[in-house]
Amino acid sequence: MTQNLDGSRRDFLSTSSKVLLGGVLSGLPADSGVAAGSGLSPARGKYPIIDCHAHVGIERLAGTDYDLTDPWDTVADPEIIVRHAAEVGIDRTVIFPIENLKFEEANKEVADIVRRYPGRFIGFAKHDPVNEKGEIRALLFREVRELGLRGLKLHVQPTPEVLDAVKELGIPVLYHPLRVALFEEFVPSYPTVNFILAHMGSDTSANWHEQLAAIELAKRYQNVHLDTSASCIAELFERAFNELPPQQILFGSDEVELDCRVTLERIRVLKLPAESEELILGGNILRLLGGRL
Amino acid sequence: MSSRVIDCHGQGGSGETWADSGVTRRVDYKVELLLQRAAEAGIDQTCIMAPQNATYADKNRQIADLCEKHPDKLIGFAVHSPQRETGRLREMLLEEVRSMGLKGVKSDGHPTRELLDVVAELRIPIMYCPQGYGGPPAAMYHEMVMAYTSVNFILPHLGSYRSDTWWAHIDAIDLAKRYSNVYIETSGVLSHRYLVMAAQELPAEKLLFGSYSPELDPRVEIYAAKLLKLPGAKEAQVLGGNTQRLLGA
Repeated sequence: MTQNLDGSRRDFLSTSSKVLLGGVLSGLPADSGVAAGSGLSPARGKYPIIDCHAHVGIERLAGTDYDLTDPWDTVADPEIIVRHAAEVGIDRTVIFPIENLKFEEANKEVADIVRRYPGRFIGFAKHDPVNEKGEIRALLFREVRELGLRGLKLHVQPTPEVLDAVKELGIPVLYHPLRVALFEEFVPSYPTVNFILAHMGSDTSANWHEQLAAIELAKRYQNVHLDTSASCIAELFERAFNELPPQQILFGSDEVELDCRVTLERIRVLKLPAESEELILGGNILRLLGGRL
Repeated sequence: MSSRVIDCHGQGGSGETWADSGVTRRVDYKVELLLQRAAEAGIDQTCIMAPQNATYADKNRQIADLCEKHPDKLIGFAVHSPQRETGRLREMLLEEVRSMGLKGVKSDGHPTRELLDVVAELRIPIMYCPQGYGGPPAAMYHEMVMAYTSVNFILPHLGSYRSDTWWAHIDAIDLAKRYSNVYIETSGVLSHRYLVMAAQELPAEKLLFGSYSPELDPRVEIYAAKLLKLPGAKEAQVLGGNTQRLLGA
């Protein structure tokens, strides 16, 4: 095998998830002075730069046939995010778990990472509305009110159980659906909930129909926002910026699979008006988080 | 070593986006946009070729016309389908290279002996992305590159456009290590860590900067290439010197 994963990822990958909680993660070195306890990067505008989409932690997929198969289902090392973000002046990163069957442990892990890197990360919970049916309300209340998580990431269509809890907690939902149209099933019923549609509707811009559908969805619902992560086709990417108000677009990277330095540059090169860029790079997610970091 | 920046993978004219695991769409790539973005990115010259079409004689002529209009900025590549244009490849490519001034060829489909014989005769590089034609890069490349050791092959996107198949990036690196006539083009590698891996494991002579402009943004693609932070001379090779060498310029 010729893999040359950097040392940090290799070390993280070689760690057994059984010893992770309270073990390796709590033993991770605090960031080497970049983020720990630091304030924001030198002021460039009204808002900090916040990456709204990144994954951390180790999967718990024992018994499935996709355990230890793909990198995004295996491990996501927060050190990589810290290092990349520091290079380009990203002040905060929203983090949530990679794939798990159930997420109680993984969400504790995220909260632990947030604590280990003070002033660096904003933690979101993740849940599977099918696998965790009946448990989510209690879990999410504890995760938000006791563990300090600030939002919810979903890969599975949300149920009323999930959305009622989200509404009551007043937290945003970042959702990567199979199809953009699935948003129509719940957005009209939850006009006070802020939704973020991951990857501008199509991961890696693989399906341009979906990316156009995402723009149209955001036009119909002011509480739907598009996250820029893993969107790469220039014409489609720029179309979103041309057709939507800047208040509905959020900078996201999809670290650690993608690199926040490159995804930030994808927005920078557009040379947006300063006020719009500031909203997209941080002001909007800050608003969705209630105005506090 | 020249320090000119040469983008080895740009596109011009109308057609469909190349077959891959995504959904193709009709496109009409304007050369004005390509040139404007290239200038903003600090790219001196771009190798330009047609998007996917049924056949390519007309499209290649349009590419040659564009190169005639912008001789300092554009380097033309032909595109051909070894399957749909079989029987005419030698005649067409000889004319396109010797009379129309095109400098390389992109293969729309797995290259055949008919195509590779004329490519070897003309001593031009061939670009071929196996994605969308049924196989991962390693399986599709081995026999071909061993059979035509005098031909330089350019494997786009580090073996997987948009990093759709992450392990194809590792296959691509292994191919370039194994065969002296396989080169890697850098555009559209969304999982940047594999570009880093390629830069760490391959000699700089094996990497060619490409942007896939204007489908992708060359300002972002060159940023990703420079993010590799190669030493100056090696970066110059990747950003232009290697392509210049392959084109015999």
